[in-house]
This record gives sequence, C-alpha cells and structure tokens, in this order.
Amino acid sequence: MNDDTPTIEQPEEDDRQRGAGSAETEAETAETAIQTRRLLRSSADRVFFGVAGGLGRYFDVDPVIFRIAFALSIFFGGLGALAYVLLAIFVPADGEPDRAQELGGRLRRAGVWRALGFVAIGILALMALLALAGGAAFAVAVGWGVPTAIVIIAIGVVLAAQAFWGGARWLIAPAVALAMGAGVAAAADLDFRGGIGQREYNPLSAKAIPADGYRLGVGQMVVDLRDLDWKSARVVHLRVDLGAGQANVYVPERVCVTGTTHTGTGESEVAGERSQGFDLDQDPGSGSTAVPRLDIDASVDVGQLRVINSDTASVDTPGFGPGPFHQDTAPQRAAEASACGAG
Amino acid sequence: MRGRVKVDLLSLAAGAVTALVGALVLFDSSGALDIPLGWMGVALAAALGAILLFSGLGGDEERHD
Repeated sequence: MNDDTPTIEQPEEDDRQRGAGSAETEAETAETAIQTRRLLRSSADRVFFGVAGGLGRYFDVDPVIFRIAFALSIFFGGLGALAYVLLAIFVPADGEPDRAQELGGRLRRAGVWRALGFVAIGILALMALLALAGGAAFAVAVGWGVPTAIVIIAIGVVLAAQAFWGGARWLIAPAVALAMGAGVAAAADLDFRGGIGQREYNPLSAKAIPADGYRLGVGQMVVDLRDLDWKSARVVHLRVDLGAGQANVYVPERVCVTGTTHTGTGESEVAGERSQGFDLDQDPGSGSTAVPRLDIDASVDVGQLRVINSDTASVDTPGFGPGPFHQDTAPQRAAEASACGAG
Repeated sequence: MRGRVKVDLLSLAAGAVTALVGALVLFDSSGALDIPLGWMGVALAAALGAILLFSGLGGDEERHD
C-alpha cells in the first residue's frame, strides 16, 4: 500500500490489496455470520405461525414456495403438516425471547441447587399423586369400593364447599388422583381378593375342581385339564376369576369349549379366537352340546386370558403369547370346530 | 358486584366432578350399575376436561384483573 501519493485509482487498488490480504478475516466473518444465523418464525410475514416466512428468510427463498409445499403435503401423508406443527412449537418467533436462554437465566437467578430442589419436589409430588391413585385402585380391588367412593364424594363436597370460602385448590390434584384410581379400578372390576402369586392346577377328575372355581387376585394362573378323565366326566364346568395377570386354561384338542369369557382390559384368546382391547366378551362353541365339553365361565379384569385347546402346547412355554411370539392359531380354531361340530 | 360472595369456580367445578366420579364408583362398587371401562374412561376424561376448562377460564379472569 502506498499512502503518500493518493490517486483516484489508488483506493480501489488498496481495497483489492487489503481484500486479498484480509481474505482470511472475511471468511471468518462469513463463517461467524452463518453460525449465528438462526431459524426463527417470522412475526412480520406470517399466515398462521410464521413458519413459512421464517424458512423463506432463512433460506432466502420466497415463503410462498414453503406455504404451497406445506399445503400440498397434507394430501401426501401429512408429513409436512406435522413438520409445520413441530416447527411452530419448537422454533421461537423472532419477537420472542429464546426459551432456552430464558430457562438458563431463571436457573442462574434461582441457583442450580435450588432449581434441582424444585424439580425433585415436583417429581415427589407426582409420585405421591400416583401413589394416591394406586392406593385408591387397590382399596377398590380388595373390596373397599363403597367406603372409598364415600370418601371421594366427601372430598368432592368439601372441595365444592370451600369454593365459597376462597377455594382449596391444593386439594384438587389429590382429589382427582383418588377419583381416577378408584374409577378405573371400579370400572375394570379389579378384584385382588384371591391372593397374589403363581398358581397351577392340574385336576385329574371333575370332582377335584372346586365348585366356585379357581380364583387369583394378581399373578399367573394355569389350569391344565388335559390329564382329566374326560371319558367319565363328559361335561366339565369351570370357573376362573383373575384380577390382574395371566390365566391359561389347557384342554385336549378333542374337547369342545363353550361358555362365556370376559376380559376387562388386555387380550383374550379362546380356542384360537383372539381379540384385544377393552371389555372383551367371547362365547366359544356357539351353544354346542357336543361332548366332551368344557363349559367355562372365565373372567380376567386386566391382563390376558387364554383357553388353549392343544395336546402339545407346553405349560411352561405354550407358544401362544402376545406380540411376535403369537403362533398361527388356525389349528386351534379347526380343532374347536371339529370338537364342537361332532355333537 | 358488591356484596356478592366471590366463588372460586375452579374449586367448585373440581369438587362437583370429583363427587360425580365418586358417585359412579359408589354405584359400580355397590352393584347398582355396571359401568364398562370404556365409558368410565369417557367420564374421567370429561371430568379432567371440565377441570382444565375452568382452570383456563380462571387464568383468563386473573389476567384481566
């Protein structure tokens, strides 16, 4: 550079030289600009949430193109619409404070340990509410449904009455937790009075089966009727009652399965007929009078009920279960049709 | 309005729906009604919705005060 004799051309030349000399600096500046450029929703150019406007500004493209793309995406699976919603939720608007920075600022002001303390208190409060809901459900399931309901009604009345004296909002969450737990348990007919654990029954005669059937509160129950003397006992009546868990009843293939089964929530698989969901009722056998016959009255509140008419299915690993381990149950359906059609 | 008792609508609504759910539990547990789980789910969702609705209305009221 020559600063002593400036001419008209000199500044341009100087600029070129300076530009060549500081190319690295400019590159760094450009890189910094790219790094600091942020995707923000546009508050000035917006139709709904300013997502297309923000994208247009970010990519230096006409926002109309993004709007058309979002609109068209609705007709092609709606992925673009989902993306729009996610962008509207997670991308801050250009006029709003950065949520992360805002949270960081709050943490700094409150102190990390204090903030962690608030989080811990929140988690504990949530766990306490879950415990309340679980306790109410358990109370209903062990037969204290009426007293629990009366307590919930009383809490509701107190809460409503307190509304005229300033309110008792602190009571709302516990009251709702209690009501939710008890409500679900009552509607699901949860019954834990039969005990908890694993039960396996292998009666050899119809007389060995209790008149009121087998009952379990929570756990797994296996009733294997394949060793039973079906020649003398042509029709066997069986009642199975399970609160929560899994109930498996095994019968020989040549036995027709009739009766009714009910599963409150979960999965029911009776003689190869499978269904999942809520309030599952099945009546296998279509009222057949064929013999030998199992007349079953089974109820599972929450869980899985399976009546397996198979000579080979193992009690330990029956091979008929949920998810990918489900086998083709066509053989069971065929055996049921054959056994029930024989009469 | 002067002289009127100020009622906390959120507490009133929450108390009412809690008592209603309690009544449903009472009827179901005593055998007077057999409420399917699906319908109880609808009732519980409606109860929660009512509480949230009144919570929102109350929040709006506070902002305008």
